[in-house]
Amino acid sequence: MRDYPAPFARWLAGVSLLLLVELGAVLSFVLGVANDLLRLTLGTAPLSGAVSTSQSLPTLISRDLVPNRGYYTGEEWAGTFLGLEPKYAWLIRVALVVVYGAVWCGWLWFGYITFRRHYRVADWTPTDDIIDRLRSHQWGKFGMVIVALFLLLALFAPVVSPTTMEQNIQDPYSNQIQYFSEETGEVQTTTAGAANRQSTSVGSVARNVGPWEYDNFNRFHPFGTLPSGKDLFTFLAYGARISLFIGVSSMLGAGALAMSFAMISSFYKGAVDLALVVTSDSIQALPVLMILILAAVVFSNTWIATVYNGALLFIALFTLIYWPYLWRAIRGPSFQVAEEEWIDAAKNYGQHPAQIMRKHMAPYIVGYMLIYASLTLGGVIISVAGLSFLGLGITPPTPEWGRAISVGQPYVASASWHISLIPGFLITLVVTAFNAMGDGIRDAVDPQSAEGDEATAAAAGGGGA
Amino acid sequence: MSKMNTTPEQEHQATTADDEVLVSVRNLRKHYGADSFLSDDPVKAVDGVSFDIHRGETLGLVGESGCGKTTLGRTLIRLETPTSGEIRFDDTDITTLSGSDLKQWRRNAQMVFQDPDSSLNERMTVGELIRDPLDVHDWKTKSERDERVRELLEKVGLSENHYFRYPHQFSGGQRQRIGIARALALEPEFLVLDEPVSALDVSVQAKILNLLRDLQSDLDLTYLLIAHDLSVVRHLADRVAVMYLGHIMELGETERLFENPANPYTQSLLSAIPEADPYAESERITLRGAPPSPRNPPEGCPFSTRCPTKIRPEKYRSVDDDVWRAMEELRGILRERARTDRSIAMIARELLGLETRLSDIDEIVEEVFGGVDLPPELSTHVDRVVHEVTDGNPEAAQSYLKREIGGPCDTDTPEYYTVDDDGRSSYCHRHTAEYDPPSPTLRSE
Repeated sequence: MRDYPAPFARWLAGVSLLLLVELGAVLSFVLGVANDLLRLTLGTAPLSGAVSTSQSLPTLISRDLVPNRGYYTGEEWAGTFLGLEPKYAWLIRVALVVVYGAVWCGWLWFGYITFRRHYRVADWTPTDDIIDRLRSHQWGKFGMVIVALFLLLALFAPVVSPTTMEQNIQDPYSNQIQYFSEETGEVQTTTAGAANRQSTSVGSVARNVGPWEYDNFNRFHPFGTLPSGKDLFTFLAYGARISLFIGVSSMLGAGALAMSFAMISSFYKGAVDLALVVTSDSIQALPVLMILILAAVVFSNTWIATVYNGALLFIALFTLIYWPYLWRAIRGPSFQVAEEEWIDAAKNYGQHPAQIMRKHMAPYIVGYMLIYASLTLGGVIISVAGLSFLGLGITPPTPEWGRAISVGQPYVASASWHISLIPGFLITLVVTAFNAMGDGIRDAVDPQSAEGDEATAAAAGGGGA
Repeated sequence: MSKMNTTPEQEHQATTADDEVLVSVRNLRKHYGADSFLSDDPVKAVDGVSFDIHRGETLGLVGESGCGKTTLGRTLIRLETPTSGEIRFDDTDITTLSGSDLKQWRRNAQMVFQDPDSSLNERMTVGELIRDPLDVHDWKTKSERDERVRELLEKVGLSENHYFRYPHQFSGGQRQRIGIARALALEPEFLVLDEPVSALDVSVQAKILNLLRDLQSDLDLTYLLIAHDLSVVRHLADRVAVMYLGHIMELGETERLFENPANPYTQSLLSAIPEADPYAESERITLRGAPPSPRNPPEGCPFSTRCPTKIRPEKYRSVDDDVWRAMEELRGILRERARTDRSIAMIARELLGLETRLSDIDEIVEEVFGGVDLPPELSTHVDRVVHEVTDGNPEAAQSYLKREIGGPCDTDTPEYYTVDDDGRSSYCHRHTAEYDPPSPTLRSE
């Protein structure tokens, strides 16, 4: 590779350009996480200065570049991007984010192609076939696009929301907004909280701010407002973060457990396997929702429930509850691999069991793991939403999709139908997308299964509390 | 034919002058399920086997499937831990090795597997596959390992630029070559070839066998060649061991053994080879029944349940062959019935006094003895059997028959007898002076 650096350098230049565009955001995120970790472990926060410096660095795609908040003076819009209407300014910003995401995807793909063309010595690998099959799988690609958009929504929540989390949700009474009052004919200032109180959606046509509407303060609400007058889109964008974080983290945890247990049980068989079967059966026999409710109540006043608004507690719970399902699903393939002669061959030349599992078994199981993890991830998102719906999940005011559905429930049959319906539809869409992606991966990894057992994987995925 | 009670290897000193024993196996046993307190009878896959493999030779191991030959091969390279017995490899008892000693020793003994589709990890390139053993043992430097892999590829008839290909891109024969290269990577002295060509196309088999033969003379390798294809063994092996139900029935120099088999089992096995000459008058010996379960092998000689030349008790020597065969068949059926696990439904039917499939002993007797004239002394035995079985004592019937019509083959374990001047040994009662030797008896049938 070092002999022929040009294509790699070209690709790297592209990556740094893409990073540079978002330098401030990337740096402040990385430093912020490091800072929080240090604060947890050391008790001091040595990086706080660096964090605030990085926040002041220019970030190209940000709300400052394309501001969408302003007021209408009667003739023109003041304070918005190029004097555009707020909804167009907002749309431009969202479009920019989507384009930025698409460019990233494209560039990563280009990087893979560059690697394949210039640096990989083998001109064909089994992975190529898997990728080719995935590329021609329409349903899987649909899933991946939706999942990518969901990821963008979570990642760029501060940028794509029409207003900020701090101003709109966390501390509305300490933030001021300007608006043009038609009565006095001049620009006035009020708190965001006061404005929210006059922008509520509580069922009647007179007191409703629906999707794609402005409220009385010239604020644009793409998805309308909540009964409290807060912006629903902002709420959902930040809610996506926590859903995604819980889903991905618990699937990583459960997946890692399931995979190591599957390899251990299929390599050593016998008593080890039996012990794991008994353990997992015991866990699977527990009613998931009951355990979640019980644990949420029992741990509600302990320190663990305070980390990331209770998300850590749920990650731990979902990890412990879901690994047996994943383990059961991949135990079969794992046993199949363990019976292959190449395992015997590796034992024969003295390979260490851990290395046998890593080199000679894991590559065959990880595909199945991806399938079942992405299918189960939807279930986790539903579970979190379900718990929040019941008032047990993530602590308010941190946004969570389930709570939006919950608060909107009384207004489903009224003018404020959007409060429950939009998050509900989005959850369905995202869960379906994760399932579609899992289907795609399964057909790519294991083409024989495409004809036969559609039902098995679907049944395994349904889940949720 | 001498009548010495010796193990085969003690007798084998004659073959060549520069004989040096590389692998020496004594009373090796491998029983499955013996360690678990839940299981009943252990499967006696290998049940007391002794032989030597000399440096530089190829020992062929033949037998029907399920006779324990693969288990024996896997035990020799410690893929299985023996239940008892001793395996000495260059004066090291490898049955007791563990930890890093075992890992070090593994360099000496490698295996070529049967199925080239399953023996290569498809997610690794050919280079990585062959280099893996070298990496495990930290063989020299990284670049020397790469060099070694390329050298091995050339050696097994592939080319250097196959290094970065995947197994999927090769044919069965080529994949087997990759497997051979991997087995050779650590410069072993001893290779276990487990059916190395049985999964390959006939046209490729010969090439692989010739490759193995060339490599053997190049690298001074010692082979244990496991095969069920007798012509493969004849092509490659210097000596052959014939295995049946966990025992070695006959062991001797290949050509002599093929030309003039001494053991009744070897005779029946070899009679199964079709001859190319359509006018050749070969008598094919068809064995009755299936091999007994290794969970419950017969007492005495393992082959006694199917042997066409089984020794009869003195007083029945004059009985007609057909009649005798029918008697043996009755014993076989009783044996089989004992093996069948009775289902709960069947036990329930029995308790209710209903007909069960198994209880039709009268029908069985009628079928077995339909066309034959039973002499009176035998017919009392049959009556007694019917009586016992109807009373629900099939075990009593079995032991009664064994007592009455069983011979030495049923009760005594045979010895290894040296049957030619080259030290060939055979495991059969008939090699003692008091009985006819197996071959003439076989022909008379």
